[in-house]
Amino acid sequence: MVPRLGGVPGFRDLLPLEAEILREAQESVLAEMRRWGYRQVITPMVEAIDVLELGIEAGQRRRLFKFMDGRGEVIALVGERTVPVARLVAGKLRGAPLPMRLCYSGPVLSTDEGRFQQRRETYQVGAELIGAPGTVADAEVIALAARCLEASGVRRYQVDVGHAEFFHGIMDAVKLPDDVKADVRRALAARDFVALESLLDKTPLRSAEHELLLRFPALRGGAEILKAAGGLVRNRRSERALAELAQVRELLVAHGLGGVVSLDLGAIRDFDYYTGITFEAYGPELGRPVAQGGRYDRLLERFGRPAPATGFVVQLDLVCEMLTHASRPPSLPRIDAAVAWSGPGLQTALRLGSTLRMFGMRAVVDTEPRDAAQAKAWWQAVGAVNLIHCRSKSAADWTARGRRTRQLPPEQVAGRLAGELA
Amino acid sequence: MKASGKVSIALPTGVLMPGALRLLARAGLARLSADQVGRQLLVDRPQIRVILVRPADVPAYVDHGAADLGIVGKDILWETPGAHYELADLRFGECRLVLAVPLASGLDGPETWPPLLRVATKYPRTAGEWFEARGQSVEVVLLHGSVDLAASGRTLKENQLRITATLGVSTARLIANQASLKTRTDAVQAAVGRLREAASA
Repeated sequence: MVPRLGGVPGFRDLLPLEAEILREAQESVLAEMRRWGYRQVITPMVEAIDVLELGIEAGQRRRLFKFMDGRGEVIALVGERTVPVARLVAGKLRGAPLPMRLCYSGPVLSTDEGRFQQRRETYQVGAELIGAPGTVADAEVIALAARCLEASGVRRYQVDVGHAEFFHGIMDAVKLPDDVKADVRRALAARDFVALESLLDKTPLRSAEHELLLRFPALRGGAEILKAAGGLVRNRRSERALAELAQVRELLVAHGLGGVVSLDLGAIRDFDYYTGITFEAYGPELGRPVAQGGRYDRLLERFGRPAPATGFVVQLDLVCEMLTHASRPPSLPRIDAAVAWSGPGLQTALRLGSTLRMFGMRAVVDTEPRDAAQAKAWWQAVGAVNLIHCRSKSAADWTARGRRTRQLPPEQVAGRLAGELA
Repeated sequence: MKASGKVSIALPTGVLMPGALRLLARAGLARLSADQVGRQLLVDRPQIRVILVRPADVPAYVDHGAADLGIVGKDILWETPGAHYELADLRFGECRLVLAVPLASGLDGPETWPPLLRVATKYPRTAGEWFEARGQSVEVVLLHGSVDLAASGRTLKENQLRITATLGVSTARLIANQASLKTRTDAVQAAVGRLREAASA
């Protein structure tokens, strides 16, 4: 049988360059979160389905990889990490004072192949601000998300800020029978505006709220959109949402992010989960949000520690895609030295390798002896900048890329390379 | 972030193409003949970039942002739900998804169905859900050549089949990529507005 070398469909191997880009991006995002006072936690790859049930909706639950452990308990591989963090805050961290700032990173899995470009395993970094109500906290996590994208190297992005309550207010105010309202919610969740239009067409009562629902995909813009929408809605919930959006916008300007922030009253998110300000960050030519989040004030109470909360995730795979397609894509860090040897030169080569690494250089020491010509071929294959061929205790041939070979004592080669590095 | 490039639209090859090209012309976005797009799969016009793809691939192009907009039959969307916005009914390419039985068959309404039905279809998801909603067990057999979309009914007659139920009515739809609506709002909304107007004219 021929082994399946491509791995399991939907799961990707990250090759050295991809792995390097992902690791760098992850580290810079986490470092930015730490600069804002967020403490990192690591939650397991698996979670009991009873716990996940408290936080994620049925459709999302269906897409989890599930299995049974020895005791017959159903366990799932996590598809997101906000719920595990909520469990921590209400459990092992219940004595810790609020507000609490936590961050995390790791892969998440989904059985659904279509959702992430055929990817069933994606990488996320997230942050949660738990125990802080109000727009100052909302603005903090949005600003943090934006700065995380910048820290990872993303240069062009925009952030669209919306509010779940704007939608809830409209649904309260719109005059429709309850079953039609349920259908309207479903159509909107499916982003099916053809179905939405035909549902609303069937009702004789026409209100400004009808119009707003139909224009949902176009309710996007700057501060002016708040005024326009304010003239149309006549319900408390939506009006309060517009007031909060205005505050968050002002706060984001104070955070120095006025240039990248837009308002999106028609953002379609999981309206049963989010309770307030929501946001999505987009990069150019990506097709999907690269970061998203919002306020979810009702999750923690389900774990027995009622607390307001807001947070977000950065989709690392998409960040990496953006970095790879940038005008100057990242490249693998160079290998500084290939250390070859022949005869009695092995000890010298090993010692030289240690010295170079101590100076912070990347050095590869050969595993077998080679003559000068063979060493050059091996050097090319390694792709290092310098070749140092150790032939005895005291003699080494040093060739830098594009230069003539020079014969020097090994310690002098190390000194010169370190000097070049400085 | 600056909006970049012009709006692109994925058009389906096949039966919906003539109607889609007429719509683009009526909307004043591009005048293209079937011959022109048949020769090149990508046509650049000052107002719009047209990408010609297989009907079933239109949602994938739009969902992944390879095209900002797409024109696609609702029948395809039944089978491939995704992250796209379905913005408008373009009111052409109407056909019905029907349940057909051989002329000689005694099968008719749900009361005549046996405990397990075997159904051959190109629309396994839609058919499966329809029967499931009616509490009927089915064995869905995926056939790419089976006739279950009826525009005229002629093919059904030719194959000695009789319609016993309609599962749904499909027309051409305009779909849009989520991020395109957010990052290039003005250009995309302008194109959507013109297509919508042309469809209802």
